[in-house]
Amino acid sequence: MKVQTIIFLLVCILCLQTQGQNGNSSFLDRTEFKVGYYGNVLWDNGLNIGAEYMWKEYKNIKERKKGQKIITHQFLFNGNLGYSTNFSTQTDNGLSTYYGLIWRRTNPKGKQYNVVLNPLGYYRSFLPETYEVKGDRVSKVKLPGRGYYTPSIAIGIGKHRKGKKRSGWYLNLQYTLRTNYNAGTLPVLSLHYGYRFNFKRNRH
Amino acid sequence: MQKIILSKIKTVTLILAFFSLFSCSKDDENINDLDETIYIRHRQADMPAYIHGNASEKVFLIMLHGGPGGAGWAERRNTIKSEIEKNNAVVYFDQRGSGNSQGNYAESDVSIDIMAEDVLALVKVLKVKYGDDSKFFLLGHSWGGTLGPATLLKNQEDFLGWIDVDGAHDPKGLYNEYKIALKKMADEQIALDNNIDYWKGVLTLVKNISIDYNTKEFYKMNRQAYRAEEKLTDDGVINNSKNDQDGWYNLLTTLWNGNNIQNILVKKGLFEKVSFTDKLYKITIPSLVLWGKYDIGVPTIYAQEAYDNLGSNDKELFIFEKSAHSPMDTEPDLFAEKVIEFINRYK
Repeated sequence: MKVQTIIFLLVCILCLQTQGQNGNSSFLDRTEFKVGYYGNVLWDNGLNIGAEYMWKEYKNIKERKKGQKIITHQFLFNGNLGYSTNFSTQTDNGLSTYYGLIWRRTNPKGKQYNVVLNPLGYYRSFLPETYEVKGDRVSKVKLPGRGYYTPSIAIGIGKHRKGKKRSGWYLNLQYTLRTNYNAGTLPVLSLHYGYRFNFKRNRH
Repeated sequence: MQKIILSKIKTVTLILAFFSLFSCSKDDENINDLDETIYIRHRQADMPAYIHGNASEKVFLIMLHGGPGGAGWAERRNTIKSEIEKNNAVVYFDQRGSGNSQGNYAESDVSIDIMAEDVLALVKVLKVKYGDDSKFFLLGHSWGGTLGPATLLKNQEDFLGWIDVDGAHDPKGLYNEYKIALKKMADEQIALDNNIDYWKGVLTLVKNISIDYNTKEFYKMNRQAYRAEEKLTDDGVINNSKNDQDGWYNLLTTLWNGNNIQNILVKKGLFEKVSFTDKLYKITIPSLVLWGKYDIGVPTIYAQEAYDNLGSNDKELFIFEKSAHSPMDTEPDLFAEKVIEFINRYK
């Protein structure tokens, strides 16, 4: 818990610092929103919404015969909220939320590579009718389920559509650790596919 | 403006109707054809029980899956689903650390003793949910045949009968029995000219197994026992296995859970220290022992041992002639017939 708190405070400090540094451009200009599918297609399927706030951006300009080649590297803060379920067994209903940093490389054609690190993550399972047994006493549990710490990493690809409201798509493979799950740590693999959109006044 | 408001109201009404449709269907419990999933929270574990079938007489058959680390849901197949569920309700239980069970606990909270208490906790919940007059039968398959006796030795008063299906009441003895059963089967099959190369390989494997218990070698023989079933099927010695299990279980979670819980129990000496053979005489409720004639996973010699040692006056042993470790898959009709007949006799 101590580690999670320290990570959370560090992320907060970084957020506040960036707000100060980027005071001259509006929040909406630096933020993109996203909505998409997440799950493993077979037995766990869900919907995810999120936002990416641009923290740093570097442009690497290379002179070529045909002209300039601009490679953009971005660091973005990432926040997500999702809900997934297993339609067969109704036993994997859960809300997940995670926060972290994205490194993204975009080439001149808009092709992107993403590496995502989410040190802060929380998964809350929602169980159906649940009864707790303590000795001979049986009682019905209100809002049954459990919370788990779920840090994650992801790698993926995407496409940026310059100047558009629906500014691109992404496809990430995410590896999450759900802990303390039973008597250990549960690894979870999931696919994330969705679209990004923005409310920028000056789209670029 | 009015148009916009009206269209919004329409959308909201549609969404509410959609959600209410699903919320209603869950509450309309049909006692003749139950289809429910509930969880049992006990000692930091949340364990699902999938309840299906006819509970009009409040007769519940609790299924203890194999493994350790199998899955309750996976037992819902063939005639268990199509026949036994018509006769009585069947409760498929994901044990602690298995299937879709979850929780936060330490390795010290994993033991056969605690897992047996989990089963008794399930019974308490079913009594609260369906009434104190509910009647229970317990069925254990494979590792479920270890957990079953462990449960009944704690409290058998709540159960009207025990059904032991190829159950490992003596995990400690398996290491040596594997060697004997694999060799015996190999000799028989070679004499019959069946898959000679394969069975010669089995003989070589057994010859090289160390005398004292070794976990690695235990699993070598265990894997071979199941591979042998495939060869016996190829040669028509046992029937083809049927499995019409439906739905997508969370495979990765199930595999990870199963592997983890099995490792913990093995580390604690499941196959070195645990045996209920000498305590089976304390189980005095009516008992039915069902076994496949060609079982090597839990060798057939244990069928007679279970029958001889159970303390019940009403006990029966039945051997399936065309089956190995899972007669519910290889002789499903006969399996259902035996189980239903037993339940109806003692309910």
